[in-house]
Amino acid sequence: MTQWLVLSVIFVPWLGALLLALSSDRAPRLQHLVASAFAVVTGLLSLCLLPLVTERTVVSVAAGSVFGNFTFVPDGLSVFLTVIAAVIGCLAVIFSIDYMHGEAQLGRYYSLVLLFIGSMTGMVLTSSMLLLFFFWEMMAFCSYALISFYNDDPKAVAGGMKALIMTQTGGVGLLAGALIAYSFLGTYDIQTFLAYAHRLPEFALSIMAFGFLIGAAAKSAQVPFHTWLPGAMEAPTPISALIHAATMVNAGVYLLARFYPAFAAVPGWTTAVVVVGVLSAFLGAVMAITASDLKRTLAYSTISQLGYMVYAVGVGAVYASQFHLMSHAVFKALLFLGAGAVIHAVGTRDMRQMGGLGQKMPFVRNVFIIGTLALAGLPFVNGFWSKELVLEEGLAHGPLWAYILMVLGAGLTAAYSLRMVYMVFYGTAKKEHHVHDAPAAMRTALAPLALGTLVTWLLAGWLSELLTGSLPYHLSHLHAPGTVELIVDVLTAPATLVAIVVIAAGLLAWWYRDLFASLSKAAALPAAMAGADFGFEWLNRVIVGSTLLAGSVLRLTQTGHLSWNALGIAGGAIAVLGLLVWGS
Amino acid sequence: MFNEMNVLMLGILGLFAVGLYALLAVRNLIKIVVALQILVKGAIMAFILAGKINGHMQTAQSVALTVIVADTMVAVIGLALAVQVKRRLGTLDVNELTSLRG
Repeated sequence: MTQWLVLSVIFVPWLGALLLALSSDRAPRLQHLVASAFAVVTGLLSLCLLPLVTERTVVSVAAGSVFGNFTFVPDGLSVFLTVIAAVIGCLAVIFSIDYMHGEAQLGRYYSLVLLFIGSMTGMVLTSSMLLLFFFWEMMAFCSYALISFYNDDPKAVAGGMKALIMTQTGGVGLLAGALIAYSFLGTYDIQTFLAYAHRLPEFALSIMAFGFLIGAAAKSAQVPFHTWLPGAMEAPTPISALIHAATMVNAGVYLLARFYPAFAAVPGWTTAVVVVGVLSAFLGAVMAITASDLKRTLAYSTISQLGYMVYAVGVGAVYASQFHLMSHAVFKALLFLGAGAVIHAVGTRDMRQMGGLGQKMPFVRNVFIIGTLALAGLPFVNGFWSKELVLEEGLAHGPLWAYILMVLGAGLTAAYSLRMVYMVFYGTAKKEHHVHDAPAAMRTALAPLALGTLVTWLLAGWLSELLTGSLPYHLSHLHAPGTVELIVDVLTAPATLVAIVVIAAGLLAWWYRDLFASLSKAAALPAAMAGADFGFEWLNRVIVGSTLLAGSVLRLTQTGHLSWNALGIAGGAIAVLGLLVWGS
Repeated sequence: MFNEMNVLMLGILGLFAVGLYALLAVRNLIKIVVALQILVKGAIMAFILAGKINGHMQTAQSVALTVIVADTMVAVIGLALAVQVKRRLGTLDVNELTSLRG
């Protein structure tokens, strides 16, 4: 039973992807219907997995001595992320019915979305590091192809290429780590690795730990690999909500959380994770406050919020990171889809051209404000509880300087959240737009997310049961409280009071921004630095540029002459033969 | 020196060398098919030799027969393609077949 459910959560969306890839673009209504049906079924199947959580291997396919066994383990962490990917994927597909209405090539769009959902569920459910890498790269491919969905727009193509190259670079770290584990333990199985990680020599474990950190930072758009995420905003907005806010970018946090018990003892690793998280959270918030593009603001805020989760893993609070991941997935999907409704109605992404939209789109305004409350961390929506828990754990187990920067980041988050809402929905209209409120399918997707933002924190106790029940190696790192315990804990912690004061200061600072007008010259330099991604763009240029250069050099080997190709084959065969003879 | 193993080995290497050289050097499509045939004949003899050495002659013979069948199909399809190429494009020179170059 469980094994069929695990496989169907992966293969049902893939079947849908295959059908849609083969479907004719002349029947768009049928395509919308088929895609939604497959997405909804996947969402329901993922929910059916919840009562069946187990730490046993339920599916094991022998794939030979090179690839090891392809194993799947639906434990608490996996099933939790499967549900997030499948349910938010389902809502994003429903939202697309209105958002992509009248667009060409819907078959390509929907088949890539469903392929992505299947890959994401496979990535979290598998217990084989090699298979994890394969699913990881499939997600990267779907992300690339969907960023470049409007493939006649050079900015979209460049953004997709950048995202692909940056995340693949990180993927090399993941593959290297998996191969090291295999060479020492003779298996790719994650459970076995977590049990016997201490038997690996220290240098091998260090290479693995930092390789995985690079992979996670590249996937989760953490400093210094974060520059691809703002470029990824050329994608259709439901894609930004699904892949670049709620699911795929969480893969890095998942990876760190999954392997935390094995790597926590590696010297310097937890500090490195904390530094990456703090820098991303703080710099992301600064960049968000200077951005004027609505989707880029949300992208920087995603970088910042993912920084909070990475920081939580770094201080050893795996539960807090997953709890914030759940809150963030829900409220950021809500914010992105709300932004999508606005962009769809107005036709621009520039917040300076918006303003005064609140009266014309009351429904979108209301749900967007709920999402913003959660992003800012105001009581008592889901973002408040999870962010306070992260900060509290950070104060208790992490260094003080990191905590101070994180609290300042929370203040900045409140300021840019208020700025975003004000610029879009209030003030005077900068331009005359013929705007209508969100249509039915958009509302169908937005309403559950808004409701979720208000109530998912009540699931805290359930989440801690889910995680503690099936993660034997994580038990000592979880610090998982029940719901009541969490409420008492958060409300009585001094960290909460500090954070609320800073958040209020952030809100006031933006509200009375005229008072600080004299400071704006002093702020010009940091603002310019924020606009230039704090100089991390150079790293991105080096990686992307060298990859493209290598491509153009290697292109010379493709002469198209048969005899050169035959020589290459013969030379390759001789080289392999030589290696075998030499190696034996 | 002149036992059957060495003779067979020399024959294999000779066929391989001739086939590979022809594959790299000639540009006529039909001659390429002929070169491939010579190369594969060397490979078949290598299977027989391998079977002789490790004692699994039955396996070697069945693999050799399978390769002969596959190889014949390659020859037939290759020659049929060559005929079509000559009819449609008027040439058999592989370096002049550039109508698909990007």
